[in-house]
Amino acid sequence: MKSNAETNAPQTDKEVVGHVPDDPLTGHAYDGIQEFDNPLPGWWKWMFIGSIAFALPYWAFYHGGAEGRTVHDRYDNAMAANIRLQFEEIGELKEDRETVVKFLYEPSWLRVGQTVFKTNCVSCHGADGGGIVGPNLTDEEYKNVKDIGDILTVLQNGAGGGAMPAWKNRLSTNELVLAASYAASLRGTTPGTAKQPEGRKIAPWPAAPVEEDETPEGDDAESEESGDGTT
Amino acid sequence: MSIETPSDLSPSNEPSGSELARQQEQLETYSYDDDIVRKFATATLVWAAVGTLAGLIVAVLLVMPKALGGLEWLSFGRLRPLHTNAAIFAFAGNAIFAAVYYSTQRLCKCRMWSDTLSRLHFWGWQAIIVAAAITLPLGITQSKEYAELEWPIDLAIAVVWLGFFGGNFLMTLINRRERHMYVALWFYIATIVTVTVLHVFNNLVIPINLAKSYPVYAGVQDAFMQWWYGHNAVAFFLTTPFLGLMYYFLPKAANRPVFSYKLSILHFWSLVFIYIWAGPHHLHYTALPEWASTLGMLFSVMLWMPSWGGMINGLLTLRGAWQKVATDPVLKFFVVGVTFYGMSTFEGPVLSVKSVNGLTHYTDWTIAHVHSGALGWNGMMSFGMLYWLMPRLFQTKLWSTKAASAHFWIATIGILLYIVPIYAAGLMQGLMWRAMDDTGNLVYPDFIETIQKIVPLWWLRVLGGGLFVSGILLMAVNWFMTWLTRPAVYEVPVYSSPRLAAQYEEEAIDSSSDLDSVPVLDAARKLDVWSRMGWHRRWERLPIRFTILATLAVVIASLFEIIPTFLIRSNVPTITTVKPYTPLELAGRDIFVAEGCYNCHSQMIRPFVAETKRYGEYSKPGESIYDHPFQWGSRRIGPDLAREGGKQSSLWHWLHFENPEQVSPGSVMPSYIHLLETEINFERVKDRVWAARSLGAPYDFELDEAPALARKQAEEIAADIVSQGGPVSRSDVMTLNSQAVALIAFLQRVGIDIFATPEPVAAPVAEETPAEETPAAELEAEIASR
Repeated sequence: MKSNAETNAPQTDKEVVGHVPDDPLTGHAYDGIQEFDNPLPGWWKWMFIGSIAFALPYWAFYHGGAEGRTVHDRYDNAMAANIRLQFEEIGELKEDRETVVKFLYEPSWLRVGQTVFKTNCVSCHGADGGGIVGPNLTDEEYKNVKDIGDILTVLQNGAGGGAMPAWKNRLSTNELVLAASYAASLRGTTPGTAKQPEGRKIAPWPAAPVEEDETPEGDDAESEESGDGTT
Repeated sequence: MSIETPSDLSPSNEPSGSELARQQEQLETYSYDDDIVRKFATATLVWAAVGTLAGLIVAVLLVMPKALGGLEWLSFGRLRPLHTNAAIFAFAGNAIFAAVYYSTQRLCKCRMWSDTLSRLHFWGWQAIIVAAAITLPLGITQSKEYAELEWPIDLAIAVVWLGFFGGNFLMTLINRRERHMYVALWFYIATIVTVTVLHVFNNLVIPINLAKSYPVYAGVQDAFMQWWYGHNAVAFFLTTPFLGLMYYFLPKAANRPVFSYKLSILHFWSLVFIYIWAGPHHLHYTALPEWASTLGMLFSVMLWMPSWGGMINGLLTLRGAWQKVATDPVLKFFVVGVTFYGMSTFEGPVLSVKSVNGLTHYTDWTIAHVHSGALGWNGMMSFGMLYWLMPRLFQTKLWSTKAASAHFWIATIGILLYIVPIYAAGLMQGLMWRAMDDTGNLVYPDFIETIQKIVPLWWLRVLGGGLFVSGILLMAVNWFMTWLTRPAVYEVPVYSSPRLAAQYEEEAIDSSSDLDSVPVLDAARKLDVWSRMGWHRRWERLPIRFTILATLAVVIASLFEIIPTFLIRSNVPTITTVKPYTPLELAGRDIFVAEGCYNCHSQMIRPFVAETKRYGEYSKPGESIYDHPFQWGSRRIGPDLAREGGKQSSLWHWLHFENPEQVSPGSVMPSYIHLLETEINFERVKDRVWAARSLGAPYDFELDEAPALARKQAEEIAADIVSQGGPVSRSDVMTLNSQAVALIAFLQRVGIDIFATPEPVAAPVAEETPAEETPAAELEAEIASR
């Protein structure tokens, strides 16, 4: 137990296994610990300098004032691109009964509504619409809906004094309409677990409109949603 | 233990360079206080077991949320801070202290200045840990990560850390008998001063009672301060002291000179100066201003080489000693520890790059990263040190080298088994969150699906964590058996050294340059001489000046970021529709904090398409101006809640608290049934409103009428719940009096203000004026509207 801490003398050679590199020493010794006088490794030094040098062009690129490079600019562009990708074909939908009916019979567009439903609605209505806290959407009975158009109204404004939240601030028009169509499409499906019917039985949904190839208005798909009262 | 440190030693930080001979040095005798090292080392071992066991328990809770019978004190949200605090401050903390007390005395050829302070430090620190272990499960928390402990404990930490530990350490430096301070001591100095600064400024609060306080900062500023603290807690509690530990114990164990003195100097100062800037990389893409985020990233990238300087100096010190590594478990631990240090300090800069962080933030990747650092670097270095100390402290042979080697392998495999699946889980979940199909829709719109997919990997983590814990238990056996063979009375060797002369004759520093005979600029010649570090050699003789310089390095770097964050108004544009919380919402927010909801739920939506599609409009800085403390979170084990207000019915929340699985099949959230069965104290709401007003929320009549307003809102929410089919009471607690209703009030408020219609007079968008008055009608209308 005496081997350490006696003096500044380096530890004795008999403990040394292997070899000690013969680099120049600094002559420092602390409790037997010596230090080599080796230079900084070149790669270390240059990578350090490089990592400092990287900062300037990076800063200039992102904070130099050029347009479209801030996080929020990039987000706005990505969002616009996403809306184009999603909805260029149909433009901005009309928020009315007819549109809900129309898309009820367009399975490829119902998939968009399904995504919205899975993101926001399954916590109350269940993954397959069988109902949990919210009513069963697969049966023939409805609580706040007498006609298919009411589904959209309920989505927009909520119902039951907050039992059904209002979504008009949170979802875009297209998302609302397609989610309404998707919710309507659940009627008549068989869920894993079905909640007891609530409300009154209502008439079946209207049939598919006759295809007259009426292209929905405009393609200004960018005009967007999500009310923010901010800067 | 009988030899006292002479107290009349002249301070050594005198101007040097005199020609006075050193002949009249008289020899002084002294011994080292190893008893305090035995205490701290034993505590390290005990808290290593406790801290990692707590980690194992929270890991089990994620895969089996009901494993502990749903007891409120043992829920994930309350235990996870206990795990992190125990691992950092109890395990790593005691390891640091053991290292400091052992090495400082020897590096200074001097007993610790005061045995009393040493013991006050030891028992004070253990008392703080016990206080943490009691208060955190009780839900007494500030909710800032790694700074959860409430203000009375924070005060105790400041006293014990700076007063007992720092004071004792600095006085020992001043009384030292070794002229120059070795690099390990530099790192200890930086640790002591910086942790003090971080701790004090992140914990400035307004208390309302012994167990509850509110930070003086709000929202963006609070987040900034917290992660300035949080990141540098990693830097100056888990990095610099462990580098000091490495610089002493690794060359000792390897019996080799340290690779490069120059590298020590350069990487020490660059590390200390650059680390402090890097905090904002924890807040990329949040409401933090973008310039701060960029600074955080750039300095993190610069930090790569300074960190690796430590790794190089550690690994290259082993040149010529690798045969020894094969047989000596101490060196095995050190080699793997330093290697993990290199890996995680490379990973850190990578994760700080914004685009990488966009994928990894909020996922398990961060968890894997910190565990490769904590288990790999801090854990392995501590274990190596403990095995090296064991025979020396107990003055006997290590009971079993084989068991130590076995521990090494168990720990190494355990770490890998922990981190590999968790890296995979982080990557998987991050990719699932952002996955979009070719029609621009989310591929995994249901959050729970992204959790279900990684649960099997969480099971593997339990296995890896279990191995790591069992390795520690094996070390405990070794420790105990070694202790059994200690001598009846410990030998206390007495040493003698001359005391430092008041004046110091300058070491002959070679001021000639190789460039002397070469035709170069005079400046180049001067640079050549400068690069021999003679100037730094001088600092190493002056502990007070060294301490001041290290403090300046961290404080100046901090102020460069802190001052603009607080002073530039455009950092946090005001949103006129954002109003203060109602009294009941304040009470609910406190429950959110106490239950540790932020451990699993962020409240910060980043401006990514996949994220706003999932959660709603991204979060704005002006939205959290009344948030003391901020609740942005750092991990999404559950979905983000920044736009939770109005997303679910109040009854849904009620049922969800009762049993999450009944409304969210597959959820890993524990039940919060106790919130349904515990009454809220409406009278106490007044204190919360008072605190919020003191911190700048424009309340007026709400202060006096707080209990009545809170009760009224609670009645309305309870009425909603009942009308939606919920119960009127539960276990003798009326729904309207339950804590759950307050929490629901808060949740229904989160993130809805930006959708509100601005008051008719006010301009629709941001103005410089903060919302000055909150008309009663507005507030009540808002309550009524919900």
